[in-house]
Amino acid sequence: MLKRIPARRLSATVSFIFMALVPIASLWPRNSQRVSQNDSNAVTSSAAAVDYDGWGRPIPALANQKAAPAPKHDISGIWDPANGPDDGGQFLGAKTFPVDGKPGHEPPFTKAGMEAYLRTKPSNGARMVPPGETNDPEAYCDPQGFPREDLFQFRTTQIVQAPSKVLILYEYDRIWRTIWTDGRELPKDPEPRWFGYSVGKWIDDYTFLVESNGMDERTWIDHAGRPHTGELRVEERFHRVDHDHLELSVLIDDPQMYTKPWLAMDKFPMRLLPDNIDVREMICSPSYLREYNSVIGDPVSEPAAKKER
Amino acid sequence: MSQRHLNPAIMAGLLFALPVANLQAAGRQTGSERQPAKSGEQRTSSDFAPTVYDGWGRAVSRPASDRKSVPAPVRDISGTWEPAGGPLDGVQFNGSKNYQEDGKSDREPPYTEPGRKLWQDNKPSIGSRGVVPADSNDPVLICDPQGFPREDLFQLRTTQIVQTPLKVLILYEFDQIWRVIWTDGRELPKDPEPRWFGYSVGKWVDDYTFVVETTGLDERSWIDNVGRPHSDALRVEERFHRVDRDHLEWSVTVDDPKMYKEPWVALDKLRLYLQPANYDVREMICSPSEQRQYDSLIGNPQSEDK
Repeated sequence: MLKRIPARRLSATVSFIFMALVPIASLWPRNSQRVSQNDSNAVTSSAAAVDYDGWGRPIPALANQKAAPAPKHDISGIWDPANGPDDGGQFLGAKTFPVDGKPGHEPPFTKAGMEAYLRTKPSNGARMVPPGETNDPEAYCDPQGFPREDLFQFRTTQIVQAPSKVLILYEYDRIWRTIWTDGRELPKDPEPRWFGYSVGKWIDDYTFLVESNGMDERTWIDHAGRPHTGELRVEERFHRVDHDHLELSVLIDDPQMYTKPWLAMDKFPMRLLPDNIDVREMICSPSYLREYNSVIGDPVSEPAAKKER
Repeated sequence: MSQRHLNPAIMAGLLFALPVANLQAAGRQTGSERQPAKSGEQRTSSDFAPTVYDGWGRAVSRPASDRKSVPAPVRDISGTWEPAGGPLDGVQFNGSKNYQEDGKSDREPPYTEPGRKLWQDNKPSIGSRGVVPADSNDPVLICDPQGFPREDLFQLRTTQIVQTPLKVLILYEFDQIWRVIWTDGRELPKDPEPRWFGYSVGKWVDDYTFVVETTGLDERSWIDNVGRPHSDALRVEERFHRVDRDHLEWSVTVDDPKMYKEPWVALDKLRLYLQPANYDVREMICSPSEQRQYDSLIGNPQSEDK
């Protein structure tokens, strides 16, 4: 028997349920391989849950080992976020600037930057809208592009070094990206690409510096909707701390949108996994998204939004 | 959103007056594929263009046809590989290269009853049974992942192969997808959770032939662009044969007892040639927003509002 619930309390309840659902629900449209938990014998004695790779094999926990020296000019390997597999999720936006309502977490927008930012309707964070009303291109499986590939759902990442290039193989959307190390310069007036154009070089024995330009304006910088123009330049620094640790920093530089460059990621820690770890498959799938919207997204959204989509 | 990404594409498509097949391929490419040349830089490649440009806008010269054959390295298929018959040689609009539905040969794979039924239920956007995008149930038309083996059997273009001690990595141009083939001796999983790109293991059967087995493929994917179906029983075998230093042959055999009475060779020694290592692969990623625009302006009839 339903009691009459005051309207204010009802909307608060609905909002609460909704806000609890959405961070989880925003994972739904991705057709991600569910972790198989078949091998219960693999559970370790520690309190931490065991994480499994794509082949169903347990990923070894981070042991307290003595730091071994870093190899020179080498960032190759399979790297996992050091503080847990979800540490690079960044649902509230770039790691150092999450939209959580706390002070100091807003990038230095120009007036044009703020206007562009306010036009975005993200599906998470303090400015979130219901799933069916977001205008986040990634929510409809448009390519994330760069630098968002570093700043949202940044997970197990493989780095392969070849004589004239470094290849980065991301887990999310199974995308690969090339960083040319053959001495070429960035193109002067390139046709935009989702993932832009990248060149890199070693600035000392343990730091690899990457510059990127030519990024398609349609992408968001992060999940919170930080905007960019075609003038965006991104600098990444990969710092090999020791044999088993890598730090990634990402600097955003777009004078039209931001008054000065800002660090979207600041020495994000990663740890080395064994070479035989199979990365889980995680690919955005529009058909999945349709199912999700029909069951969850549309019922909690404004009907008008569905037509706009 | 800038309009410049779309209008030149429409103009280019209409001007070329290519069959619908090619227009649909153009619709799936990114804007960087379709824009007109700027001061002699990047142009779209087609069978008519004398020059091909890589992703960095650099002209790529095709190897001389009378180039002397250099011996193949042992146990090595690494490199950046380009279809030898031309940039579109691996596109396979009308289905798997060996079994095309083009109204001419219409060579059929050996369907079982359920296989034939599923095939007929699939409505491709191309080939002799093609329909308009709005009526098609091709998952790739809405930018679902191609999955495997379709990644070999549709839009196979410049492909990078990287060999490391425990695995071989294949980096495809279409959708910029990477795929792993484990060579550390592990077996294929017995009852795996399906993935779009499945699970692959590989080994050398001789010094120049690398054989790959794949299972665990998600049933939602089509085998090729004309809707050949598969079930969870599908196993795919690929053979990479290093002919000489500059040439590779790629074969794909489909084995699905539920859908086909016997295995069939979907791709038979597709020949690829080695590009220089500094070749930047063009970006080609399916974008639902671009696809929607394309469909509404070109793909679907104007009278129908889907």
